[in-house]
Amino acid sequence: MTNAGWSAVEAVARLLEPAEREVVLGDLAEAGEGVWRALIDVLGLVVRRQAAVWRSWRPWLASFGLALPGSLLLMGLSVSVSQSYQRLIAPAVFTSTGLRLGPGFTLLLCNAVLLLGWSWTGGFVMGSVSRRTLRVSAVLSFLPCLFCLERFRLESISRLCLLLFLPPAIWGVRRGLQLAQIKFKSALLLAVGITALTIPTWGNRGSWIPNWALSWPAWYLVATAARGRISLGDKHWQTN
Amino acid sequence: MLGEFEYALITTAAGLGENAYGAAIREEIESATGRRCSLGALYTTIERLEKKGLLKTWMGDATPQRGGRSKRMVRVTPKGVQAAKDFYDAVIRVSRKASWVTNRSGSSL
Repeated sequence: MTNAGWSAVEAVARLLEPAEREVVLGDLAEAGEGVWRALIDVLGLVVRRQAAVWRSWRPWLASFGLALPGSLLLMGLSVSVSQSYQRLIAPAVFTSTGLRLGPGFTLLLCNAVLLLGWSWTGGFVMGSVSRRTLRVSAVLSFLPCLFCLERFRLESISRLCLLLFLPPAIWGVRRGLQLAQIKFKSALLLAVGITALTIPTWGNRGSWIPNWALSWPAWYLVATAARGRISLGDKHWQTN
Repeated sequence: MLGEFEYALITTAAGLGENAYGAAIREEIESATGRRCSLGALYTTIERLEKKGLLKTWMGDATPQRGGRSKRMVRVTPKGVQAAKDFYDAVIRVSRKASWVTNRSGSSL
C-alpha cells in the first residue's frame, strides 16, 4: 500500500474508537490489503458503527431536539441581549454623565442570566447525552450560525453578537463530557432559577414554546441527577 | 439461534483456539467459504456475540508484522460452544431428508 493510500485509510479510521482503530489498522497491515479494499473495509465499519449509534434515541435528541433548535433560539436571544445592552447600558457607561440605569436593566440582567443558563445547560446535555455523535450535534449547531452570520445585517451591532451563546455552550459541552451529570441540589437550583427567570414572559403566549424548548435541558439534568441518586440509594440499601 | 455468519465466526474462532483474533478469523472464513468477509461484518458480529456472552475478547500483543498494533483476541465461551452445537445439530436435523444429503449418503455406501 502506498504512503498516500495508507494515510487516507488512517484518516478514515480516525472516525473509529481508538482501540478499534488500532486493531483494524493492524489487521489491514497484516493482511497487506490494497488501498481500495482497505478504504472500503474501514468505511464499511465506520458506517455500521454510526448506524448502530443512531438506533438509540439519544443522538436524535441531542442533534435535532437540542443542537439545531437550541442554536437558532439562542442566537435570537443573543441579539436581543446585545441590543438591550447597547440601548440601556452602553450610553450610560460611555458618556461622561455617569452610570444611570433605566427600568429595562432588570429585564436585561434576567435575559443575560437566562442566556448563560440556557446555553450552559443545553451544552451540558448535548455533551452528556450522546458523546459519540457530538460532531454531528456540533455541525447542526454551527450550520444555523453560519447561515445567520452570512445574512445578518444590523448597523448598530456586530454580527458576532449572534454568537454570544457559544462560550457558555462550549463550556457546558466540556463539562458534560467530563461529568455526565451534576449533583441533584445544583441541578434543581439551576432548573428552578432558569424557570423562575422565565416567569415575566409567561403572559406572552408566543414565548411559551421557546422558553420550554430551551428550559427542558435544565430539567433533564434534574431528572438524571435524581435517577443517579435513587440508583445510588438502591446500591447503598443492597450493600447494607 | 445463531445466524449463519455468527456460526461461521464462532466455529472458526474455536478452531483457531489460542490464535483466534480478527485478521486470522477473517482469513479462515474467506478461505473456507470462498466469500469475502468485510471488517465491518466481522467486528460488528464479534461485538454482538460478545454482548450475548458467546465470545470473550481482549486486546492482545502488538507485533511488527502489524505495524506495532495490537490484535483483538477472541475466545469462545462455554455458552458460545453450546450455541454453535445447537446450530450444528439443527442444520443436521433439517438436512436429513434433503436430496443432496441422501445422495451423498448413498454414494458413500
